[in-house]
Amino acid sequence: MASPDSTSGRASLPPKSPKPRPIAPASYRPLKAYAFDPSQGKYFGNYMTLNVKYERLQPGPIGAQIAVIDYDASNDCYYEPVNLDEDAILIRDGLDPSESDPRFHQQMVYAVVKETIERFEFALGRPIRWRAARDPKDALYRGKLRIFPHCMQEANAYYDPSLHAILFGYFAAPADDELNLPGQTIFTCLSHDIVAHETTHALIDGIRPYFMEQTSIDTPAFHEAFADIIALLQHFSMTDNMRETIAGTRGLLEMGELAPYAQPGSKGAQINAEIARDNPLVALAKQFGSAMKLRAGLRSAIGTKPGSHELETKTEPHDRGSILVAAVFDAYFTSYLKKTHDLMSLASAYAGASAELHPYLVNRLADAASKTAKQFEHICIRALDYCPVTDIRFGDFLQALITADYDLVPDDPYGYRSAFIDAFRSRGIRPFASSYSEEALRWGGPQVKDGSSLQCFGMNVSLQQQMADEDFRAAQEHNAKIITNFAKQHAVELGLDPIAENCKIDVFSFHPVLRTAPDGRPLLEMVAQVLQTLTLPDEGGKPAAKVHGGAALVFNVDGTVRYAIHKSANRLAALQAAYRAQLSNHSALSPYCDVSNAQVNFRALHRGY
Amino acid sequence: MPTKKRPRRNNRAKTKTQHEPAPGGTSGGAGERAGKIQVRMFRVGFGDCFLLTLPTAQGPRYILVDCGVHSKGNIKLEGTSLLEKAFDNIAQVTGKKLSIVIATHPHQDHISGFGSFAKQFGEFSISEVWMPWTEDPDDPQAKSLHDKRTTLVSRLQAHFAALGMSEDIGPAAAVANMAGNAPAFQALHSGFGVGAKVRYFKAGDLAKEPAGIQGLNVSILGPPTDQKFLAQMDPPANDHYLRLRGGDTGGAGMVEPFDRQQWSFAKEDPSLAWPELPEAYKKELRSRANSAVDELAFALDQCVNNCSIVALLSYQGLNLLFPGDAQYGNWESWVKSSGSASLLSGVSFYKVAHHGSVNANPKEALEKMPDAKFAAMMSTQSRPWPSIPAPGLLPALDRKTGKQWVRSDAIAISGAPSAPAGTVVPPVFQEGDFWFDYFVG
Repeated sequence: MASPDSTSGRASLPPKSPKPRPIAPASYRPLKAYAFDPSQGKYFGNYMTLNVKYERLQPGPIGAQIAVIDYDASNDCYYEPVNLDEDAILIRDGLDPSESDPRFHQQMVYAVVKETIERFEFALGRPIRWRAARDPKDALYRGKLRIFPHCMQEANAYYDPSLHAILFGYFAAPADDELNLPGQTIFTCLSHDIVAHETTHALIDGIRPYFMEQTSIDTPAFHEAFADIIALLQHFSMTDNMRETIAGTRGLLEMGELAPYAQPGSKGAQINAEIARDNPLVALAKQFGSAMKLRAGLRSAIGTKPGSHELETKTEPHDRGSILVAAVFDAYFTSYLKKTHDLMSLASAYAGASAELHPYLVNRLADAASKTAKQFEHICIRALDYCPVTDIRFGDFLQALITADYDLVPDDPYGYRSAFIDAFRSRGIRPFASSYSEEALRWGGPQVKDGSSLQCFGMNVSLQQQMADEDFRAAQEHNAKIITNFAKQHAVELGLDPIAENCKIDVFSFHPVLRTAPDGRPLLEMVAQVLQTLTLPDEGGKPAAKVHGGAALVFNVDGTVRYAIHKSANRLAALQAAYRAQLSNHSALSPYCDVSNAQVNFRALHRGY
Repeated sequence: MPTKKRPRRNNRAKTKTQHEPAPGGTSGGAGERAGKIQVRMFRVGFGDCFLLTLPTAQGPRYILVDCGVHSKGNIKLEGTSLLEKAFDNIAQVTGKKLSIVIATHPHQDHISGFGSFAKQFGEFSISEVWMPWTEDPDDPQAKSLHDKRTTLVSRLQAHFAALGMSEDIGPAAAVANMAGNAPAFQALHSGFGVGAKVRYFKAGDLAKEPAGIQGLNVSILGPPTDQKFLAQMDPPANDHYLRLRGGDTGGAGMVEPFDRQQWSFAKEDPSLAWPELPEAYKKELRSRANSAVDELAFALDQCVNNCSIVALLSYQGLNLLFPGDAQYGNWESWVKSSGSASLLSGVSFYKVAHHGSVNANPKEALEKMPDAKFAAMMSTQSRPWPSIPAPGLLPALDRKTGKQWVRSDAIAISGAPSAPAGTVVPPVFQEGDFWFDYFVG
């Protein structure tokens, strides 16, 4: 560091640089948001600060993954966009909650969408991708999900895959609204719940685009239920919410005495334990749902007595979805009670039944509730990679949950998997497996005659996070070729239908993923989706119908196929014809339009058709 | 009369019934028709108007099933609305004597004539007027359905009017079909002021020898009253989309969520780098912003269709099924029951439901009808809804009826949309000036 002309023999200090030394960029950007929605005021920790990963933002906010665009289609105008990098905003952790400032709305939507994305990226072990752009000319905001916080005057909000957008509505409060003044404008984009729900629809669609095809009564119901499970678990994972709820009631403790989680003579955790009259968590879940009266239906079954025949009669997507939501929450409550059983027993032994909960105890219970919620959220999200490529049924989801969790946590110390199995069984969700045992529910590998394993050589399993963009693209192109050849060569072993002129296969998704098991093991693997398209002969001049089957493949890092989760296109073709006829019979709109190639329509679905 | 060139299978079909059938339904001197039940389907445009003539020992008795046309599917012949011509024909044929008037459901395209010609009907002798139970003013449940519907319809109309939407097509046309039916109902509920007995029917009812017609029995298969199926007739409950543009708060005009002066943002502002959305994309957003109400209009329309009387008339060992505009919800309530197969397998005549729309003629019902042993008539027109009739239904009708079915728009009317070229009218249907006759049995 000596100056070049240090002939004097004396090392002199370099002149002080006029530039200050750079400060490492922040990891997080704190942003204020409502934990529920504005009608909840300041109660129950309704004002919260979300820490989302820091990224440079343009006014909007427009970041790398999402573009918040405040265009109001009903009024055909734009509202002024917020610049979250403005000093005055940065210094106060984002704008303060305000119903009347659209810039706060933009900030909150950005924060909640981002939060939801980050949870998915953590659980999946890779960066998320949105559904591929429909139109190459539509280059504006390419690769970004567009968010319209005030798109239309309607009590609705939905993800629209063809527009690559989430559309939030606003509406005047009805005369019978108890929380709001009649005529007051209510904004769906200010409900944490609704934003998380809609974002989840978009995220599922990016991961499993063929779930948008209505192939059974389970498909629209699954999309709805899963979106709601994530939205609810996000609430439960916030410790502040939990603390207020648990401190404010004594329901949990009493319930522990009334309904022990395990009853003598019963095997394992008793699923009905959480079905107490005053379970505050149940009440809380329903309260979220009723806040804007938009999603209450999906939560109607939480905390109800499981009926193993309900699925046979419920066909409406929200009714049906409510059973899946309830099953996941049965498992969650059971696991939570099991985890806190010791605390509750101690507390009731040392304090009388009338005593207030000690704040320490409240903290411990709240921590347990929110930690369990986080783990459940991760398990559910991770299961998406283990779901079939098309035609998701509730039973498939159970198998995906069990398999995904087994891969990461083989020993299941908290009994989550048995809680899931019991809950799904009690709600009558039937997988296509030989039994409800964990071994039977786990997906199988490829069907190789001699029982040996199937290996795909030459894949480049390197993480996107560690590579330059162009290198990653090259690696992906390379992987596409290799996996496509592999799938074509081994179609039958992978559970696909034999390849024919009218039955082609195509690999459309392949991702290296890195997950870290709770015991610290890094788990590097490759997940891929193979699509099989069966073209049916056309009947009487109609365009040929296409039916999609396929297989989700999970590879070890050495290319060994660990799971081949498959659906036969030929078998689906038969089932779908009947389902579509039923669909067209029941649709209110069908006399006036064509429903032959039905896609899930969240706009109509959220309106209740 | 301008007639489209159609292939004829048989010369006999050329014998047009130019002359009105003499009382007794034995027109044209054709001996084979003597003593047969006659069904006359009028071409009125988009709408239903069917006249039945039953031969009895005391002379012919007449039953009128619906008399209406959609205001946007109304067509004219020689400057006069065809519905008016149909009415004149009815008056002439029946000698102004009707045993039963059935108004299947409260849609303009089925009942408008009862209002337009209320005064003239008042000169008729009419024994009975039939309506579905959902129109019974003394039934609290019916009243509630009715009130809800009326409110929704008027609000939807106001909404579409505010948007300047044309009622010629789409959802506004569906709403127009539900509006303006008060005069018709006034006439129907009052028994046309001629002392007609007004009766309301529900699924499961059996009318034995109504209006004193010996040997006639009418089984009513719809509309249902079970709670389970009520939802199919109940207007959508979550109508919060209608809160927009005033709605519940009684205000007019749009909600402006933010003060425009303060917050609306001009693209030209150079301080904000925010690319303008392409116009095509904005247009799609705007169409979605309007779609909620469109879909509500169609859902409401379906509810009204599901209120249709479904009547199975049994006479002289023959069974004639008139399902009005029943859509799937109505059919579903009885078609799955154990008795439906024997009912449907004995059908000799079928009035195609809801102008041949896709979900009004369920496969499970059509398939139970006897192969090539019944004839069907469809009153239809591709205006105002180009998707009606549903193309998929037509081959099924060919197959089931043994090609013994006819569509009203096979009668060419200049200036009106008509059946596709090459449509064959089987010879069993006698073409009149603007109607088809069929003699059952």
